[in-house]
Amino acid sequence: MTVAVEAWRVARKDLRLELRTRDMLTAIGLFALLIVVVASFSLPTTGAERDPVAAGVLWIALLFAILLGIGRSLALEHEASCIDALLTSPISREGIYLGKVLSNLLVVAAIQVVLLPLAVVLLQLEPGRGVGLLAVVTALATIALVSVATLLSSMAVNTRTREAILPVLVVPVALPVLIAAVQGTEVALGGGTPAEAGSWLALLAAAAVLSLSLGIATFRHVIEE
Amino acid sequence: MSKATEPTGSPRASVLDRASPRGLAILGASTAVLLAATIAGALFLAPGDAIQGPAQRIFYIHVPSAWIGGLAFLVVFVASIAVLATRSRRWDRLAASSAEVGVVFTLAVMLTGPLWARPVWGAFWQWDPRLTSYFVLLLLYLSYLALRGYVNEPMRRARYSAVLGIVAFLNIPLVYFSVQWWDSLHPGPVVANPEGPQLPGSMLAVLLLGLLAFTLLYLLLLWLRIDLTARREDVEVTA
Repeated sequence: MTVAVEAWRVARKDLRLELRTRDMLTAIGLFALLIVVVASFSLPTTGAERDPVAAGVLWIALLFAILLGIGRSLALEHEASCIDALLTSPISREGIYLGKVLSNLLVVAAIQVVLLPLAVVLLQLEPGRGVGLLAVVTALATIALVSVATLLSSMAVNTRTREAILPVLVVPVALPVLIAAVQGTEVALGGGTPAEAGSWLALLAAAAVLSLSLGIATFRHVIEE
Repeated sequence: MSKATEPTGSPRASVLDRASPRGLAILGASTAVLLAATIAGALFLAPGDAIQGPAQRIFYIHVPSAWIGGLAFLVVFVASIAVLATRSRRWDRLAASSAEVGVVFTLAVMLTGPLWARPVWGAFWQWDPRLTSYFVLLLLYLSYLALRGYVNEPMRRARYSAVLGIVAFLNIPLVYFSVQWWDSLHPGPVVANPEGPQLPGSMLAVLLLGLLAFTLLYLLLLWLRIDLTARREDVEVTA
């Protein structure tokens, strides 16, 4: 089996579980939506501050959703010692990691597909031709965040605090991604094209490649036991 | 599946085990002399700054602390790779000790910076790239130490913190670029400048003395911390 096939099998198992329970999709999708709703009550929806504030709100909502969802995804494996079965199965460690990243990415993407249009309406945004840039920024930043959070959450579940420590581990490492995502989103909300956010896109792409490679290289050191 | 941990106090004693009292005494005495010379140099030898006044003299503490903050993080990174490669608790001792000493120096940077910035900039804090980078460095250190605090089993703690040490260190270039694209207020490099050092000879001499003194102080504290950890492990083994 190639790593891609292994990853797909792990991801398919997780997605099947998710589609039966809909734990992450409902709880975490609704939570992200609630953050956007609370923000639209309390923040300016007109004037020059609207786009930068909305970009910040969107990424706070997405970050919280990703942290909550991914903490859950690895904790599930430990509940009935499923992780032991997964580790004894003839699947490479890289395959397990990439499968987890893939299933987490697909769930987060499903939430984003609903959340982002709703946020555009609720926060009264007018991205216009910036929609393309918004999609690229969101995709790259999500790959970077999900791959680093998946790696770190596999450590967090084995600590005394369980998933509670996950934000403390992820957020400092993910700060450059968040800065670039917020800046890129602000350009997109102002109707900017990818060319106008070139350096932020380059940084996000570098972060996505770096996070994913580090996850592939170090995951086997985390779960060996 | 994890490999057996090496018995502590194994015959191949290294600098990462219990420290020799004589070595500590020599290093401690040299550190004390150089630190005293740095303070005397900063207060009396170096000329006062024409514009910034006496506040500028904090430079001789601030810059060496910043250098150690970065150096200590590099040591954490290298020791973390060694932990994953060798599975030796000795390297974990080095990584953990360097992170603890590094966080102290990074805090010194974060305290001395605002003391200077208030009279010179008129504000304690600005979201300037270099300030932000150091703030993120401090957060990375704290997150690393928090993780260590929450894992009980020693070898697992060593592996987990090594992974975080590597991931955090390799993110630093991204931190640097992400905050660089905001405009900078922080004074530019005055020593590592393409046109040669941009400060008077006596200031440069005191700064170099400070860098040496702080490096010795870092090594001393690191060695003491490694010694303490090795002693603690010995007690755990015999208990």
